[in-house]
Amino acid sequence: MTAPVTDDGRPIEGGAEPILELVGVRAGYGAIEVLHGVDLVVPRGSLVALLGPNGGGKTTTLRVCSGLLRVASGELRVAGRTVNGAAAHDLARVGVCSVPEGRGIFPNLTVRENLWLATGTGVARDRVESVAFDRFPRLGERRNQLAGTMSGGEQQMLAIARALATEPVVLILDELSMGLAPLVVSALYETVAELASSGISVLVAEQFAKTVLPIAQSAAIMLHGRVVRVGEPAAVEEELASAYLGG
Amino acid sequence: MHLFLTYTIFGLVLGGVYAIAASGLVLTYNTSGIFNFAHGAEAMLGAFLYWEVRYGWGVPTPLALILVLGVFGPLMGGLLYLVIMRGLRNTAEVTKVVVTVALMLGMLYLSEWFWNPQTDRTVVPFFGITSQVKILGADVTTHELIALGTAVLIGLGLRLFFYRLRIGVAMRGAVDDPGLLELNGHNPERIAALSWAMGSFLAVLAGVLLTPISGGALQANSLTLLVIDAFAAAVFGRLRSIPRTYIGALVLGLAASYVLAYSPKTWQWASNFRVSLPMIVLFVVLIVLPQDRLRGASVARTRERAHLPSVRSAVIAGAALVVVVVLLRQLMNDSDITTITLGMTFAVIALSLTLLTGYAGEMNLAAVSFGAIATMVSYHIGVTGHGLASRSTLWGIVVGVIVTAVVGAVVSLPALRLRGLYLGLATMAFGVFLTDMVLMDSNPHRIPLIHTKFSLFSGGAGINSLVIPPLRIGPLDLHDGTTFLVTATVVFAVLGIGLVALRNSSYGRRLTAMKDSPAASATLGQSLLRLKLSVFMLSAAVAGLGGVLMSMALGSVTPDNFSIFLSLSLLMLTVVAGISYVSGALMGGLLSGVGFALIVSTFHDLASRHGSVHGLFSFLASFATVTPALIGIGVGRNPSGSVHDFVDSYRSLRHRPRVLVGGGAVEAVLYVLSLTNVLGHWWFAILTSVLVMFLPLVGQMSDPARREQEAAAVPLELAGIDSPYSDGLRAELDRALGIEDLLPPERLARSRRNGRRSDGSGDRSMTEPLGAGVGDAGT
Repeated sequence: MTAPVTDDGRPIEGGAEPILELVGVRAGYGAIEVLHGVDLVVPRGSLVALLGPNGGGKTTTLRVCSGLLRVASGELRVAGRTVNGAAAHDLARVGVCSVPEGRGIFPNLTVRENLWLATGTGVARDRVESVAFDRFPRLGERRNQLAGTMSGGEQQMLAIARALATEPVVLILDELSMGLAPLVVSALYETVAELASSGISVLVAEQFAKTVLPIAQSAAIMLHGRVVRVGEPAAVEEELASAYLGG
Repeated sequence: MHLFLTYTIFGLVLGGVYAIAASGLVLTYNTSGIFNFAHGAEAMLGAFLYWEVRYGWGVPTPLALILVLGVFGPLMGGLLYLVIMRGLRNTAEVTKVVVTVALMLGMLYLSEWFWNPQTDRTVVPFFGITSQVKILGADVTTHELIALGTAVLIGLGLRLFFYRLRIGVAMRGAVDDPGLLELNGHNPERIAALSWAMGSFLAVLAGVLLTPISGGALQANSLTLLVIDAFAAAVFGRLRSIPRTYIGALVLGLAASYVLAYSPKTWQWASNFRVSLPMIVLFVVLIVLPQDRLRGASVARTRERAHLPSVRSAVIAGAALVVVVVLLRQLMNDSDITTITLGMTFAVIALSLTLLTGYAGEMNLAAVSFGAIATMVSYHIGVTGHGLASRSTLWGIVVGVIVTAVVGAVVSLPALRLRGLYLGLATMAFGVFLTDMVLMDSNPHRIPLIHTKFSLFSGGAGINSLVIPPLRIGPLDLHDGTTFLVTATVVFAVLGIGLVALRNSSYGRRLTAMKDSPAASATLGQSLLRLKLSVFMLSAAVAGLGGVLMSMALGSVTPDNFSIFLSLSLLMLTVVAGISYVSGALMGGLLSGVGFALIVSTFHDLASRHGSVHGLFSFLASFATVTPALIGIGVGRNPSGSVHDFVDSYRSLRHRPRVLVGGGAVEAVLYVLSLTNVLGHWWFAILTSVLVMFLPLVGQMSDPARREQEAAAVPLELAGIDSPYSDGLRAELDRALGIEDLLPPERLARSRRNGRRSDGSGDRSMTEPLGAGVGDAGT
């Protein structure tokens, strides 16, 4: 097995300063530690894919990044400032937008109400709605429908619409593809690529590397609670198989 | 027509107040998942405080209303959330129930402490009794109009709040996913605190409005039970929909009013029927309304833990219990014996909770009520002899227990598809119905066919009590106090051993599987229906047996002996002690039967004896009545119960026989000293509890191999993460994996050597700490 790469934080393209940074982060649930010292850098304006098999700690890493889970030791930095222990709602207000695993929506609220809640970060309600309904006309048609009664793809659109409308600095996406048809997944990732090219930094966790690697600027493999490899998507792709099979 | 109109308006007003109370209940249940049994108690405290401010201090009505409704209500709710409810995340349903029940009891005691229940307090309607208007010829007081108007305004206001304000929408969103709410930039803590403040405001508002409508006399108990009317209305809205809750409340109010107006005078039970109407409605609604489907996806991992004793250790513990009780008997005087016996019979009832809630995860909020059924049956068919010579027969008890089991089945059968809270509410409805309706049946009826007079709960001449004589089986006569105490203890011990055996059997494992995941259990081919029905019957039978014994210990019972508050406080103390343990049932039963009564009376004795510090001791006595509630509230922090901690602490003493023998010797000396009256009995009790509590600590302090043991106590999957990776640990891992014997000697030696080397480096940065031993075996 490859030894863990001790990447010192230099971004692959060089130049851009890191917008989101994890330095030696340990975290876990109760007595069980899940992350045993994770180092990860998301440079400003780039899309980083976090890959790896189930149980590797991807979701936990994202929960730490969004502030839902406390850092036990190590540092979480946003735009160069240490934000250990900041509550998730505070991070959300400074521009860290996180779409959790499954569907990041409230199933028992209508589409409009879901979008209304997105204004918790300080954006005007009209703005959120116009952005969301322009980008996804389907949501506009269903604006008064309960979100939970829409199809999986539409629900995921709604979740992404929040990211579009609130203009975050960092977008954190967890398993966007979960339970969706391949066609829907590629459409969603096209939107994500557009977002990234508009200057938003994106961190995506994904089990199915093929869907996300083409649009990523860099990729990291997580295994047993550590980042074991960081590099160019093409280079990382070659090592993926061995990482998944436990090489 | 005039009568109809008057009672319709009265029913609408009553329904409106119920609706206000019920919407507060729905609000807090939805935002925090906690069904607030203390909702009525909040209303009661609010009403009492309003009385104090308005009439005690003489503050003008508007100012008093602002103080009570605007300040006290929201403040109480917000504080309740911040101090207590916030700590209840990831706990089992029963823990949440117990905490709010404890809160309810605590508030009741608190109000009795501040406002002596013997004093009459009257709340005059707003603008006085004479301020009336005529509507279509019917007289309506201004107060009633205000109440009705407020109910309408609250309904509209809540609707607007939930759909037209962002914080209201966020509150509805919190039901689905508080975490996601946080990712959207909202603070879920603030939203939950606000919802509790609003809930408490609505409760207080209902309390202030209701008192003048229902006669004007302020009574703590009846106001606290207002919550039951609210339950029925809230369940009508499936604990979700506020409009449906309003409809339910209006139906209830009108029905109660019409029963009052139109029931024939010959129906003596009509007033009892009116009181228990909400319960009947609650029961019916629970059965008729569709419920949530089984959910398998999210198996909640709760914080409750329990060790499982073996049958052998249960037998030893049971024998030890009997011996201890026989020994303690020598120290006690006669009145103590009766008290302890009563406690022991409570412990038997508590065993039914251990089986039902601890093992099977179902809830019964009316355990003591099931005891009432067995008591009635054994009174009617199982008493021989007259006067002092009368005795209960074994036959009566056996039939009583069987009937109770059957009633348990009948109660639970329609409720079987209900789970958790809903089943708990159904049993509570049954319990209150039983005390309000069946146990009040003291006037003899003529039974049509056999032409005899019969009443369910009367010892004759319309007296609402039953005399239950002690049991006699052949030579065993429970008339003698000591015999009764020992018999009750033996019954408890045998049942306890039986429960442990049951838990260790395949049936017990199936019960626990059902508790952990009904969906998984069903997919494995278990019939949940059969499991639930059987465990409910068994549990009802145990409660019935305990109930008969309790009635015998009391000698004469009234409906108050089976009150729902008694069932609730028994459940609370059993959960505090440890609901999954037989010893938890013992402790819970003894505590509710004797413990606190003893402590309170001790302080009262001390207060009357020492005049100079009278104030302090009577304060302590009052405080002691609130203590059980405080303990119950604290259960949120330690949901596994205190027995669990106790067992854990003694576990470390298992390999320290000298400490155990030493402790035993000290205890024996104390006993002898007490027996020879050198030591007072209270001193004996105090010293014994100190010894029992501190023995594990002594054991730990004196243990040279303490660190080693602590390292070994780390669960294997965590080994090497938080503690150094030692040789002993490596051997332990190899043994646990079953590969120790497979390792050839030289590999074993190498593996040991490797272990030492990594010990030498001694830090936590080793790669793959767990893989090393396994890898050695594999290569």
